[in-house]
Amino acid sequence: MMQKQLLFQMPKIKPAPSQYPGSIGKYEVIIDRSKCSMCGVCAEVCPSYIGASTIDYEAYKKPSGYLRLTAPKASCTGPSCKRCVNECPSNALSVKLSPQYIALGDLRWTADLILSTWEQAEVARISKKYEYRIGDSGGGFDKLRFEFELEHKEIYEDDLVDEENRDTSIVLNKRKDGRPETKIPMPVYGADMSFGSVSLNVMLARAKAAEAWNTFTSTGEGGYPDELIQYKNHVITQVATGHFGVNAETIKRTKIIVLKYAQGAKPGLGGHLLADKVTPDVAKIREVVPCISLFSPFPFHNVYSVEDHYRHVQLMEDINPQALISVKVSTPTDVDMVAIGSYYAGAHILQIDGGYGGTGAAPDIAKKNIAMPVEYALPIVHNYLVREGVRDEITIMASGGIRTAFDVAKAIALGADGAVIGTAELVALGCKRCENCERGKGCPSGIATTDPALKYFIDIDWGSQRIINLYSSWKGQWSHILRKLNLENIRELRPNDEVKFRKGRFNHMVHLDHLRR
Amino acid sequence: MKTVYEKYHITVKDAPPKIKLPPKFIVKRYNNCTNVQECTQACIYGVHEASEGGQIAEPIQDLCRGCYMCVLKCPKGAISIGVNPEFERLGNSYFSPDRIRTVYFEAETGRVPVSGAGYTGPFAGQGFDSIWFDFSEIVRPTRDGIHGREYISTSVDLGRRLESLEFDENEELVSNVPKTIEIPIPMIFDAPLSCRTSLNLQLALAKAAARLKTFAIVNAREYSSDFAHYKANLIPRIDSDEIDEFADLVKTSQIVEVEFSDGDIRDQLKKIRATNPSALVSFHFPYDKEAPERADAIAEMGGDIVHIHVDEGVVERNPDIIKNAIRSVHSYLTDKRNRDKITLIFSGGIAEAAHVPKSIILGANAVGVGIVYQIALGCKVCYGTMHSQDCPMNLEDGEIELATQRITNLIGAWRDQLLEVLGGMGLREVRRQTGEVGRAMFYEDLEAKVFGDKE
Repeated sequence: MMQKQLLFQMPKIKPAPSQYPGSIGKYEVIIDRSKCSMCGVCAEVCPSYIGASTIDYEAYKKPSGYLRLTAPKASCTGPSCKRCVNECPSNALSVKLSPQYIALGDLRWTADLILSTWEQAEVARISKKYEYRIGDSGGGFDKLRFEFELEHKEIYEDDLVDEENRDTSIVLNKRKDGRPETKIPMPVYGADMSFGSVSLNVMLARAKAAEAWNTFTSTGEGGYPDELIQYKNHVITQVATGHFGVNAETIKRTKIIVLKYAQGAKPGLGGHLLADKVTPDVAKIREVVPCISLFSPFPFHNVYSVEDHYRHVQLMEDINPQALISVKVSTPTDVDMVAIGSYYAGAHILQIDGGYGGTGAAPDIAKKNIAMPVEYALPIVHNYLVREGVRDEITIMASGGIRTAFDVAKAIALGADGAVIGTAELVALGCKRCENCERGKGCPSGIATTDPALKYFIDIDWGSQRIINLYSSWKGQWSHILRKLNLENIRELRPNDEVKFRKGRFNHMVHLDHLRR
Repeated sequence: MKTVYEKYHITVKDAPPKIKLPPKFIVKRYNNCTNVQECTQACIYGVHEASEGGQIAEPIQDLCRGCYMCVLKCPKGAISIGVNPEFERLGNSYFSPDRIRTVYFEAETGRVPVSGAGYTGPFAGQGFDSIWFDFSEIVRPTRDGIHGREYISTSVDLGRRLESLEFDENEELVSNVPKTIEIPIPMIFDAPLSCRTSLNLQLALAKAAARLKTFAIVNAREYSSDFAHYKANLIPRIDSDEIDEFADLVKTSQIVEVEFSDGDIRDQLKKIRATNPSALVSFHFPYDKEAPERADAIAEMGGDIVHIHVDEGVVERNPDIIKNAIRSVHSYLTDKRNRDKITLIFSGGIAEAAHVPKSIILGANAVGVGIVYQIALGCKVCYGTMHSQDCPMNLEDGEIELATQRITNLIGAWRDQLLEVLGGMGLREVRRQTGEVGRAMFYEDLEAKVFGDKE
């Protein structure tokens, strides 16, 4: 095993810039044409020469319009620089937040998080310009901090990738039951996204990135396209209630089988692929008729009890005795009971999908109101398994609202072993969280779509490089956190005892709402 | 007794609003556009279309869904997408622009709002926003109501119930079982806001109540002969000292609602029962500190229904109040062993579909849907500060049918969402949800348990 670890080489970082000419910048430079003397000083003093390529001198011939200058490629660094504004001899320039930036994103995925994830996907770096750690939802991860974050408010460091690389690997099978240990070099793998909810190109890009990082991605509940077979050692087969495209062959092919009992975005409701997205290609893999809405009914009707659950796990073992079993559950009031039930049923991995998780389509009422956020579920489950004395025999993977490297680290500090990443990977591919994945042609960005033309927006090599870059940046951030906390590896970040906050503090963590002296 | 089983069904039909909401996004195209029409290619929603001459036309704002593809694909940086300030100004802090947009969608289509990507809002909030539903997982199988494969009942009973039934030695029932009225949805319509109510609005409401087989409350003073056709679905609200004056109304109504006053409840009950022995009597009062005791007294003295309302303006300032109101009244009555005797209805602050099952989990039997149906018809939530002639509540005669359909659509969408929640929770009927706080999770509890000092 050690040898294998040594053999693993970090994938190469290569710039993967946006394939579009336009960009969404955080700041825009406004030029007052009535004052501008066209001297060009602004272009000279700008550290990234943003002016030079965009001040359209020819445009000056038509003074009725052309009053505006947009910052190209989002490169204006904003009011902290302001060199052009100060140096302009005729006071014609001003810098302000761009309207795009103000309209982009939401409280959970703020515009800063989206733009920062894009930046990390392009160049594998973070910059001072964007908040890259937390969103603005006012609770959970957004209120949790590592203690060292309180000391230096500005912890942005330009090049975290050059940090000393600490060990961030985790082991997925802790049962010592003769099945492979399955070590992955970083504490994350890719979430379940079906062919149908996302395009084949996206699946392939994700699988290729997973191969490069020697981790995993998942088929979701939409069958196993033949094109994915070349990555079969890095693709998880999901078995969900609709059993779309699930057969003995796809179960035998995989190293990990996911039994999906519930999904955080729509727990208790089952899946739903609207008819528009069931194209002939999708229908073929799912073994159904095209252009008909597909329901994955809830629940598994062969599993009404923990005993049934045990038999379900056994059934998978009968088909593929070497595969690890991952059980994907969401977070009801009795999530701790579900967890211990899954342990006794024989699961190797317990994936806890919190209520704020991603989806290709879900009723809004379910996304907001059903199941608790993962920030609560992790300590509850971890503590229960610690008390039962079985915590070190099962791997807990957190998912559902984990957006950044810091979210992953906080989830681990709250009792998970690692995290499962969905939306962040899609954002790396260019998702803007516009919530239009569900109907018609699906995603206008060509990600969550089955439209045969739109899918070509995502080039497989480009896409996998963007995901590789994002994870490289994340690995740098984890190393940074571990160095600050004086920990050798990320497994030490996970508490061994129960998670118990006192006066808003626990281990390395503080919760700002409860912090007291 | 009906011999033919009839499945309850709400017929929804497309009902576009008379006045559209302002679009959420503003798309601008600047003059440095060189007419390469990359935006036309990029936009799958048809915002950027070329006009007949081949020149690109003004963007169609309504169609924009904020995907930014035109911004990214424009080689000149000539397009910007921003938030529409007019959209941002809609409603108030409680009836937020997004809530109003959802209500418009539901009223127009009657469908459950579905979208992609995960939840986008705050982690938690006050009042209803601090509650998450439980659901069934592995054990306790869920139900599939929404796709019609299993029947989930959303019916509730209005009226008084006995604590126990008594039988004589021949096993004949001796208890006098009080009358109850079953409505197929746990929602009734509260009377419109008093600022700008109109006869046609009341009429649309009455028609919608009749279609939905539920009830609409109408102030007795505004009761007109036009309502006669819908009287089976109307609840007249009468001031306690005007019971004699409206004796005719009392006589012809199935349920009568009395505006609570300091007068003798027993007296008022006696008066109504003398006029119409079969009518259910509801007492209506605003929530305050004495509300739990008042509700208990009404239960003791033989009232059928207690209808408590919280002013919309108060909810806006303090969204927690409606949650506290339901909890305190329900718990007090439970402690006094009177909870099961009466029906509890709460209104005020019901702004989205999830608020119905949340009210019921907190302890209500049914909710009064208030201002939200007015929002579906274009109410600006101005509480009477706008000029009366501009008020969209002044429906023309020709608009009644559209208004009725929009209200029906709204409730249709809400019932489907109620079914989703009940299905997820594994409940077969909404009656069993009342007071089931164990099947919900509360922000305060979880926060204290996980991050606070509580054991």
